[in-house]
Amino acid sequence: MRTLPRAATGTASATIALIGNPNTGKTTLFNRLTGFNQRVGNYPGVTVERTTGKLKCSPSDRPITIIDLPGTYSLSAGSADEAVVLDALSGRIRNTPTPDAICCVVDAKNLRRNLFLVTQLIELGLPVIVALNMTDLAQAAGIEIDENELAKALGVPVVPVVATRAIGVEELCKALTESTEGDTPPAPVVFPEEVNVHIDRLVTRITRSSDERSIAPPPRAIIAQALLTPGGFHEHRLLLEYGDELAVSLATSRHQLSKIGFRVAEIEADARYAWIGGALARCQTSSKLRDISLTEKADRVLTHPVSGLVILILIMGAVFQSVYAWTAPLIDIIDAAFGELGVYAAGLLPAGALQSLITDGVISGVGAVLVFLPQILVLFLFIAILEDCGYMARAAFLLDRFMRFLGLNGKSFIPLLSSFACAIPGIMAARTIENTRDRLLTVVIAPLMSCSARLPVYMLLIAIFVPNTQLLWGITNTQTIMLLCMYFVGIFTALAVAFVLKRTLLKGESQPFLMEMPTYKWPSPKTVFHRVADRGKQFCIQAGTIIFAMTIVIWALGYYPRPASIAASYEQQRTTLEAEISEGFASLAAAASSDLGILEDSLATDIETLSARFAEFNQQFTDTIEGEGFEEGSEAYVAAVSAYQQRVDELTGSSPLGEYALAHYHLSTSTSAKLNEVDRREAGDYLRQSFLGRIGHFIEPAVSPLGWDWRIGTAAIASFPAREVVIGALGTIFNLGGEQDEGSSTLRSTIVRAETPDGEPLFNLAVALSIMVFFALCCQCGATLATIKRETNTWRWPVFAFVYMTGLAYVMALVTYQVAIRVI
Amino acid sequence: MQLTQLTHGQQGVVESITSSESSAKRLADIGFVRGARLQMVRPGDPCIVRIDETCVGLGFGHQKHIYVGGS
Ligand SMILES: Nc1nc2c(ncn2[C@@H]2O[C@H](COP(=O)(O)OP(=O)(O)O)[C@@H](O)[C@H]2O)c(=O)[nH]1
Ligand SMILES: [Mg+2]
Repeated sequence: MRTLPRAATGTASATIALIGNPNTGKTTLFNRLTGFNQRVGNYPGVTVERTTGKLKCSPSDRPITIIDLPGTYSLSAGSADEAVVLDALSGRIRNTPTPDAICCVVDAKNLRRNLFLVTQLIELGLPVIVALNMTDLAQAAGIEIDENELAKALGVPVVPVVATRAIGVEELCKALTESTEGDTPPAPVVFPEEVNVHIDRLVTRITRSSDERSIAPPPRAIIAQALLTPGGFHEHRLLLEYGDELAVSLATSRHQLSKIGFRVAEIEADARYAWIGGALARCQTSSKLRDISLTEKADRVLTHPVSGLVILILIMGAVFQSVYAWTAPLIDIIDAAFGELGVYAAGLLPAGALQSLITDGVISGVGAVLVFLPQILVLFLFIAILEDCGYMARAAFLLDRFMRFLGLNGKSFIPLLSSFACAIPGIMAARTIENTRDRLLTVVIAPLMSCSARLPVYMLLIAIFVPNTQLLWGITNTQTIMLLCMYFVGIFTALAVAFVLKRTLLKGESQPFLMEMPTYKWPSPKTVFHRVADRGKQFCIQAGTIIFAMTIVIWALGYYPRPASIAASYEQQRTTLEAEISEGFASLAAAASSDLGILEDSLATDIETLSARFAEFNQQFTDTIEGEGFEEGSEAYVAAVSAYQQRVDELTGSSPLGEYALAHYHLSTSTSAKLNEVDRREAGDYLRQSFLGRIGHFIEPAVSPLGWDWRIGTAAIASFPAREVVIGALGTIFNLGGEQDEGSSTLRSTIVRAETPDGEPLFNLAVALSIMVFFALCCQCGATLATIKRETNTWRWPVFAFVYMTGLAYVMALVTYQVAIRVI
Repeated sequence: MQLTQLTHGQQGVVESITSSESSAKRLADIGFVRGARLQMVRPGDPCIVRIDETCVGLGFGHQKHIYVGGS
């Protein structure tokens, strides 16, 4: 028997590949064996790329590398993720060593189907160890497996394990370490004699022609695959290598086989399942009569065409409601904390470029984005739970018909659903789709699903501009519904794009639905925790790197140059104002003194002290209004106003100086407002003539039909590398422009105050809608484009995705704004 | 009869699969081969069929090519 090219025995290291059917617990086991935390989920297609790690228990002089691979049902690759398995097996993946042994992970509940792959793997000629996983679930289902009998039948070691609870992992470790040393026993003979003759004949042929060209011939099992899977992956590969001569041999062999009554495409399955049937009769018993499992009971409701869909919608609704409602208080706290931090930092640093960089750039930029961490975490909590309990496959099942109507297939559903978390794993998950056109289609529409990075944009604007009205007896509210609508904007656009593309660029028949429905289980807290923590970490890293860098760039562009002429002209205005103020105070004191006949010295300070009390009252009054959230005109509001008025009146009447102090208070508030206004205008002037302002002026005509001013436009452009940047960019730009509150400057309060040059509020519901629609549809994510390039191997598709998405985003935002200003 | 004709809970044995070679191969990999015993869990398009302990969702395009006989 021929073997795969193996690393010379006795080398200092070894590599073992984990291979098995989808969803048999390969990754869970990989994490156990290596101490990694790779992503695990209870549906087929979670792992689509290889990962390598070091076996924890491997001997120190001989480190063993473990490779985790996507799941596959057989070696006759149909989809891109399965091709990864074959490439890894034959050492065709860069930076990944060729395996010296295979650990085949087998689901003990489904031995028959799993052994199909095991028998194929054994024929490759590498040492194989069978990890009999999920023995806990098999036992619960009343399936008894005699692992010694099974090992005897297969001729390879079998180790029962429960990957989730680390049972049997030590034994497996030991078996794995030993496996790379011993000899490989012969594989069981599964094919009938007549078929073997033909396979052998081909092997001789190919070996001869390989020797002539001095290349290593493929293993016998692969040649058998090529013969028995007409039109398959291996035939294709071998034909590329060995050319027409082989094509003739293959055709002859197939013809002769069919003459003696074989149907070539059925030979392998028939032979293997016959062999497996015999082996199972010896080593597996179902001890009790099969009763209806919990999974089946749950599926009666959950996959029902009516109740299933209703529940699906309810689940989605619940997710949105929680993401919105649970996190709002947390967001307020973090928001306020960053605002305070900004004030504190401003107090610590001397005024100037450094202070501006820290407060306007870093704190308002990065802080504005980090505020949305709670939402990302809550969203991922739900995603992780849904993924690990086994519901994803059911959702795909329920929506298959709908997806097919649009020209997609149920299998596209999981990549699209993953894209709500992030488009990158979503696009990669499209590897499980066998049909190339369907896969491409899924890849180009996946970025339209509202990923978690869009959530901050929606949250920020919805919280400010959509009135919060309770709906459905308080179960939900208008803001949640608005959030849901934004998600639907993306979904509907994606579906429409799919519908069009399927009938134009990517025409063709799609594959019928075929997906295993995994057993439901309780989500594992560890899996859920890691999924949530991973995403949280990624979000913070993103904020700390790309967003940090972009906000600094934007800050620098917006801060420089700083011409002295502006400073001089505003210094002038300020001095004039200050002079006016002190004059005003002096004349007040003089008036009081002459009216009341008191000495001036103490009088001025007394008036000031009293005036400070008025300021205090006003502060208390605004605190109550804001703290309690009284609405203007409401009963409570009116009561608060009159209480305040009464305190003011009392204080005025309490002293002969009252009148003068009140006037002093009014004068000081109005002048400090004037001073602030000067500061604001100065900051605005600086920003307008900064580099950023000049760029902005240039693009303004393009964005003004969307209701945006140049500041929003530049923020949107700056967010090309990652869409969260827009939040940071807005924070920085408006802060530089002096739009922040005098106190703590949260982005929210800044946005509310932002004005156009005519003094109108810059933002309103129509502008907010247009921004949100733009961000729902645009492709502001460099990493997504890079992933599309990697997955499709050409720049054509990322360019296509970027162009069509940006175009759609612009047009839809335009329509949204123009309609909204006419309707609202 | 075609798999599409099985009603809820009905069992059967696969007699033949008439799909294209690549589809037949996929079906075989996941357990749909001549002689496999299966049970209809949820008829419809797509349907859910149980083979051994696995439930598999199958679209109409696959169902119509799978012929089953009574058990
Ligand atoms: N009950 C039980 N569940 C397991 C076991 N091993 C894995 N799982 C679960 O099976 C699902 C699939 O695991 P995963 O490692 O992603 O499988 P992969 O697709 O083969 O990589 C996850 O929900 C695991 O928690 C086991 O031994 N017993
Ligand atoms: Mg995996």
